[in-house]
Amino acid sequence: MTGDASPPKRILPWLVTAILLLTGSMASSQTLSVQPLNLVGTISAADWEAYRSRFVEDSGRVVDTANGNISHSEGQGYGLLLALAAGDRRSFEQIWNFTFTELLIRDDGLAVWKWDPNGKPKITDRNNATDGDLLIAYALARAGAAWQETRYTNAAQKLAKAIGKSTLSRAGGSLVLLPGSQGFGAGDRPDGPVINLSYWVFETFPVMAALAPEYEWTRVWRDGVMLLQQATSGRVRLPADWISLQNGLQPKPADGFPPEFGYNSLRIPLYLLRAGMTEMEWLRALKQRWSAENEGVAVINVVTGQVRERLTDQGYAMLPAALACALDGTPIPEPLKSFEPSLYYPSTLYLLAKSLLGEKYPQCV
Amino acid sequence: MRLVGSAITIAVAILGFAAIAQQTGSGVSQPPAEAPPAPAPPPPAPTNGSQSQSQPQVDESALRYFASQGDTRRVNAEIARLRALYPNWTPPSDLSQLSGSPGAPPPDPLIERLWNLYREDRIAEVRAAIAERQATDANWKPPEELVTALETVEARRRLTNASDTGQWRTVLSVATEVPGLLTCMNVDVLWRVAEAFARTDQPNRTRDVYTYILTNCATPAERLATLQKALLVLPEPQVTALLQFERRTGDTPDDFGTIRDELARRRVERASLDSKMTASADDLAVVERMIQTSGEAGPVLILGWYNYHHNNPTRALELFKTALDRNAGPKAAEGYAMSLRALNRLAEAETFAYEWRERAPENMKIYLDVATALLSQDPPPRLDTQVVGRIVPVVMAQRFSDAAQALGWYSYNTEQIRTARDWFRTALSWKADDEPSAYGLALSTQRLNDRGGFNAVVAQWRSRSQRIADLADGVNPATGRQAVAAQPAVPQPAMTAPPAMAAPVETAPPPAQPRYAPREVAVERVEAEQAFVQTEENVRRRQTQARSALGRNCAITRNPSGLSADAALTRGWCLMEANRPLEAVNAFDRAIANGSSRTREEAAYGKSLAYLRKNLTSEAAIAAAEAPQNRERRVELGASILTQRALAAYRDGRYVETLHALSERARIVPEQNDLLLIRGWSYLKLGRFDDAEKVFRAVQQTGYSEEAAAGLNAIREVTGQVRY
Repeated sequence: MTGDASPPKRILPWLVTAILLLTGSMASSQTLSVQPLNLVGTISAADWEAYRSRFVEDSGRVVDTANGNISHSEGQGYGLLLALAAGDRRSFEQIWNFTFTELLIRDDGLAVWKWDPNGKPKITDRNNATDGDLLIAYALARAGAAWQETRYTNAAQKLAKAIGKSTLSRAGGSLVLLPGSQGFGAGDRPDGPVINLSYWVFETFPVMAALAPEYEWTRVWRDGVMLLQQATSGRVRLPADWISLQNGLQPKPADGFPPEFGYNSLRIPLYLLRAGMTEMEWLRALKQRWSAENEGVAVINVVTGQVRERLTDQGYAMLPAALACALDGTPIPEPLKSFEPSLYYPSTLYLLAKSLLGEKYPQCV
Repeated sequence: MRLVGSAITIAVAILGFAAIAQQTGSGVSQPPAEAPPAPAPPPPAPTNGSQSQSQPQVDESALRYFASQGDTRRVNAEIARLRALYPNWTPPSDLSQLSGSPGAPPPDPLIERLWNLYREDRIAEVRAAIAERQATDANWKPPEELVTALETVEARRRLTNASDTGQWRTVLSVATEVPGLLTCMNVDVLWRVAEAFARTDQPNRTRDVYTYILTNCATPAERLATLQKALLVLPEPQVTALLQFERRTGDTPDDFGTIRDELARRRVERASLDSKMTASADDLAVVERMIQTSGEAGPVLILGWYNYHHNNPTRALELFKTALDRNAGPKAAEGYAMSLRALNRLAEAETFAYEWRERAPENMKIYLDVATALLSQDPPPRLDTQVVGRIVPVVMAQRFSDAAQALGWYSYNTEQIRTARDWFRTALSWKADDEPSAYGLALSTQRLNDRGGFNAVVAQWRSRSQRIADLADGVNPATGRQAVAAQPAVPQPAMTAPPAMAAPVETAPPPAQPRYAPREVAVERVEAEQAFVQTEENVRRRQTQARSALGRNCAITRNPSGLSADAALTRGWCLMEANRPLEAVNAFDRAIANGSSRTREEAAYGKSLAYLRKNLTSEAAIAAAEAPQNRERRVELGASILTQRALAAYRDGRYVETLHALSERARIVPEQNDLLLIRGWSYLKLGRFDDAEKVFRAVQQTGYSEEAAAGLNAIREVTGQVRY
């Protein structure tokens, strides 16, 4: 735990932004800012070791244990970020080595997203996943700065420029992140463009803007917030994981995906909190829904509001707890305080949340 | 090491990576760089080239490191390990020069561990250990050789992954950044780089990489594999040029014979589809040898097509037969049918192609072509009705206008003028601008005194066809012979009367599809369909209508001779309804004698039904032939007539005739179970027990049948007797 965590008071610029967004008056000259996280040192050695020993192989491969032990760019990005937060240069380098040699091979400089140990070749889908790219570039940039390692900084910059070049797209009046460089654009499918709001890892945009200033990251960020507001304005007030922007003003669930607020979207609040965007009104509504008296964390049909699956793993339970802490100062319940890793994804969410709480809300833990 | 070093230099020089870097570098994509300056001539073989032939490429970096540290124990261990891996390898002679700089610090145990991990290919762990060490000691640096070795392995992994995933620009940019990869030690990398050049439209650079390998790399298997890869991606002249690097002497000479054979095979293959290209005798001999020495169909097909396209259909036929025996399938069948056609063995060709027609589109195409050719022979052949009968449905289903036209001429030239008219109409409906069909239509309508039909064709075609205009102006009266072939008017000897239903039933098309037909035709057809009585159900309706119109009166008027044709027709149906078929026959006769063509057609149909009701099948058949019938009716009448014939024959114990009638019938409609049973019993009576058993079993498979079970029992009984 670093002692110099910035006090959570300096949120005025963001507050102004949030109000502007909420009132719909989008001044193009407005400045957005996040509270950058320190990251380094916010995960304890014991928690990290519990994670690393389960999910990171010696080759530096982060294994998605719930999905046939495949790996993906998202997992590598999370692994890098968590290793940085744990201050583990050794593991960071290891995970980076796998990421660099196995995934960062696309002609356009992005990472292929899917790697299957049983595949032949092991790369079984050469498309990229933009959130994975953002996470990798972000972790590299922060590690490069923290450890004075130019290899990381240089790689971060190349990747940031590639993301800017290949995944930003105009949709109606918005500038959006395409989930992958192939297959999601307006010309790629009848209901395109299709987006995934959980790919907006808000804390990464200021870093991308520093690495590749020639792209409009602030605009992407701002339009992401606006789209989130639109997508949560319906009766159920939850965004579908996959959203069609074909009808620019009215986002709707994309064809071919269940119209669900699912495993993707449930990390959106975590990303908002990590970026310091606690003033989003939607977070309060979500906190209400997620509270113990209500339905808790679940996969929910965004049209009917019906619950398809309740998610009770510690990593999912940590999300409403973090939300309650950030919004109301509610302490984290005792059972959530010690890390009990199960599967890759909820364990990752748990550590991302815990790292945030340790740095910005130490009073809750 | 010096060898490898110079090889790298050469590789970089040849490949001109500066130019590649321009193309693959990040930033705005540029048009491909100008063609690079003429590639350097193949570099002279390295001075120690003879050594390179026997000396495998071995990663000596760890060995050199241990030597530089003066670690004799490790040096010896590494030499032993490498010898075990590469029996022909000899340790470099300059190791002693590296070792023991005086006063060198003692070997670092971490570095030893790093090299060990490196040798085990645990690259991420080497990197991790370096990072860990640097975290505590920012000034610590790993040995330069290790860093280079790591970068090389990482680059090879990235390049291989990129190549496996088709990321060709990444392949080239990695090769540019880490040229140390491009050595004979990594011949797989060189192949991948060569392919990346080919996939990015830089074949000359591909050739340069292969040239580099063939000039510098020693392993015979890799040299041969290089040419095999060249065959996949390079134009043949460039592959041929690479053959000059074949090493004919030395410890391990090359044998590029299979490459030469493949090039010869390809030359024959190209010539096999182009009659203007000839293959050399040598090349043809290579393919012949391939046929003899392998069981493959590929070379057989190539030689088959070569002979087919070079005026040797007899040999082609033999070869396609061989290819069929080697299971070459539809392609071989197509060639076989085409060869038969080329040999003018059209009947055989039709029979053969018919069997294969469903296998592939080209098989259907050749079947239709062969059938068209068969029908278009001059003079018109006497075709088995069975042959014509199976051509027709295929032509209809495929809407193949050439064959429809050929059927038109075939009918015309065999004096089936009405049928001819229908076929020409059909052909025109599928291909509206088919002048020969229009001419055929004009001739047939003229022959039939079908003024309306004739005028319609003339009106449409006068301006487009001189001969149709001439026909209208009486310049060239219809001659009765296919004018396409400009034949004199030689009357065709009447075709042996086909079985009552066969020829007319089977060759005439259903009513023309109006889709592409001229408007007049379409209108005529619609009217026709409204007036026609086409199905059994319609018959019942027609009878009921007639009965309700005439009441009991139809039975009272005895003599229909005073009636108009239409009144006689209605009366005929009325009498049918009253179940007085023989009187109905008289009424229908009256309608046939005086009616319009449409009335006559319907009356003939009614008359056939009347006879059928009296089990007078021959009469029914004759009646059916009195006026042309549309397809549904022909099928219905034909099936009914044949059913009754079969049953009558069976009752009389004439089993051969029974089977004959059933077979005829089965060609136009599916055989239902009760008739299948008759067929089974007929077989049984004729002693054809196997056939009988098959039939009874087939019936049983559609559900339990006592009759079929009885049949099977009877067979068991009979065959049991035979056995004992």
